[in-house]
Amino acid sequence: MFKRKLSALQYPQCDFVNGKDETEFRKVIVWLEENKIKKYKPESRPISDIKSSNWKKSFEQYKKDVCCPVKSDTLIELDWFINLALQKEYIQNKSKYEKHSLEILKSPNTPNVVPDNPLDHLDFGSKDFENGVKAIAQMLQILSHPDPLITLKAISKLICNRLNNNAIKNPEDYVIKGAPFPFEDAIKGYDLGDLVLNKAAKILRLLYIQNLRDLQTKSNELIVSVQSITANPKTDTKLGKVGK
Amino acid sequence: MVVRSYNDELKYLEKINNYCWRIKIGFQPNMKVEGCFYVNSALEKLMLEELRNACRPGMVGGFLPGVKQIANVAALPGIVGKSVGLPDVHSGYGFAIGNMAAFDMNDPVSIVSPGGVGFDINCGVRLLRTNLWEKDVLPVKEQLAQSLFDHIPVGVGSKGIIPMNAHDLEEALEMGMDWSLREGYIWAEDKEHCEEYGRMLNADPSTVSMRAKKRGLPQLGTLGAGNHYAEIQIVDEIYDKWAACKMGIEEKGQVCVMIHSGSRGFGHQVATDALVQMEKAMKRDNIETNDRQLACARIHSEEGQNYLKSMAAAANFAWVNRSSMTFLSRQAFAKQFEMSPDDLDMHVIYDVSHNIAKVEEHLVDGKPKTLLVHRKGSTRAFPPGHPLIPVDYQLTGQPVLIGGTMGTCSYVLTGTETGMEQTFGSTCHGAGRALSRAKSRRNLDYTEVLRKLDSMGISIRVASPKLVMEEAPESYKNVTDVVNTCHAAGISNKCIKLRPIAVIKG
Repeated sequence: MFKRKLSALQYPQCDFVNGKDETEFRKVIVWLEENKIKKYKPESRPISDIKSSNWKKSFEQYKKDVCCPVKSDTLIELDWFINLALQKEYIQNKSKYEKHSLEILKSPNTPNVVPDNPLDHLDFGSKDFENGVKAIAQMLQILSHPDPLITLKAISKLICNRLNNNAIKNPEDYVIKGAPFPFEDAIKGYDLGDLVLNKAAKILRLLYIQNLRDLQTKSNELIVSVQSITANPKTDTKLGKVGK
Repeated sequence: MVVRSYNDELKYLEKINNYCWRIKIGFQPNMKVEGCFYVNSALEKLMLEELRNACRPGMVGGFLPGVKQIANVAALPGIVGKSVGLPDVHSGYGFAIGNMAAFDMNDPVSIVSPGGVGFDINCGVRLLRTNLWEKDVLPVKEQLAQSLFDHIPVGVGSKGIIPMNAHDLEEALEMGMDWSLREGYIWAEDKEHCEEYGRMLNADPSTVSMRAKKRGLPQLGTLGAGNHYAEIQIVDEIYDKWAACKMGIEEKGQVCVMIHSGSRGFGHQVATDALVQMEKAMKRDNIETNDRQLACARIHSEEGQNYLKSMAAAANFAWVNRSSMTFLSRQAFAKQFEMSPDDLDMHVIYDVSHNIAKVEEHLVDGKPKTLLVHRKGSTRAFPPGHPLIPVDYQLTGQPVLIGGTMGTCSYVLTGTETGMEQTFGSTCHGAGRALSRAKSRRNLDYTEVLRKLDSMGISIRVASPKLVMEEAPESYKNVTDVVNTCHAAGISNKCIKLRPIAVIKG
């Protein structure tokens, strides 16, 4: 469980973590706080004593302090904390990772398009903006990304696809139905030598196919709308002749 | 041609596995690459029998045996990979029918050959599905067959019922199915489920002779003669439930319509015109081939380019033709069932071309290369995830429609990764002749053939019954053998089997 994420954080026994075990859960949380999250000063960490009978109480306080939105499931909680740690780690080494970012890899020749959109005048870096996005995300039960703009994108997608007027009126038309598809077995053709990587690649492929389907549907709609102007199919049975 | 005894010839053939034979270099002179062919034990006998007959002293005239033709193609300039014979391979003009050969576009000596495409340019198969079941159509089978026959003119010299003038034809040649779409004969989704989206962009009607256009104009929307047909078919077996479901085929007993037709006299004239041009080009560029019928020109020569442009126009003609017949079939069904084609869910499952040359990207010895792939009596079968197949089939692989012969079953296969590697994404196209037309006429009686179809419960409407024995199942290889060989060799997968209940043909 969480092997990849924890090994990225260099957690010592990442191979054997069982998040359902209360002691281990506490151990990981404390390790994350002490080594990565560092919300509290070292001398005042009430959660450090994992054997304390008050641990649960101090943990609830801790959750409030780091604004953890997760309510019930300990596994989701643990995942959230690991993500938070990853996020801190990332921000600390941002310059190192950004060398590989798409913006920097892109050729410097592409023109910088400045769209004329009132939202662009917002200050995306401000705390206000960040908190606002976080609040909406919590309301919609979307996990926050360290970059509030990306979280906002996810929010916008959800609202456009599932919370538009039509979707609210006829939810059954928008909630995707269909038979489950065994994509892990059914998509063949590549093996990246790693189960999890394969799974991720297959999910990406499915998303790509969905995008392509949307595009094709839109092209078809366009053709149909043009057809309403140009189409005039005719037949004339008098012309027909059966051969020998 | 080298004259050897049958046993000496066999030394050049090597059975690699139960489904594939290698033709070694030296079997015919100047072979640049090896040849191979896919057969199972039943088809293997036919193949070798043909070679044995050709080795008998005094055998002259007629086409060369298929194996020899595959080897002659392997001797053409610029060929890469292998010259591949599919399980339905049989002798044809120059190239065997059921032969795939790819030529490197970046090699200046590479050639294009009209014989490698065939005279019926972009002959192909289209499959429409319906939401009807066998029990819905059986009571009205005769009426439906008659209605199809009334809508789709068949036979040699038939004329179509869609009015067209010379200007319309020019546009159709250039635009392919986009013309049919613009005029409202077909649905937007039809284009999506068609090889090349139903239009070859390099088509140039100005490279086509007046004669070809004159022959083609009245024939649009007609089925033609020979092995062409339109059939009402029933889903008989589903081998790959998931892939079938993606094609809108849910259960056994569902009704489909299969249309097998090509570019009629138009394509024939384009090919004939090109052969004349190419003979001149061969002399000028000193191109040598083992067989006069392998007339060809360098891809980048004027003749080569002109052929490719006019072939593309003929391909577009064939797509418009099949589209017009799709329109007419939908009308026939709509009238019979008093429902709109939309409500009958008469979508095109797919449309394949099995006589065509196309520019494609393939890996040759691990390196990407741009190739001109000739498929004559061979169907493209691209694997899942290939960018040139429709989005709906990205996970299943390209549907491959294999038309059987009159009265036998047809198949839907899907493309595979193995096929991509071994045969440049190609597989078989149908049953493939076992007897020549003349031989069938001598050996079979047409009343007997018709009676047999009747006893199988197949309604038939045919323009020239006296030619029906040419197309009798006995004249062909067993399509099930052919398809099973492709499946076992892994170059395509079996998906659906269909059986006919009504046939109309020329």
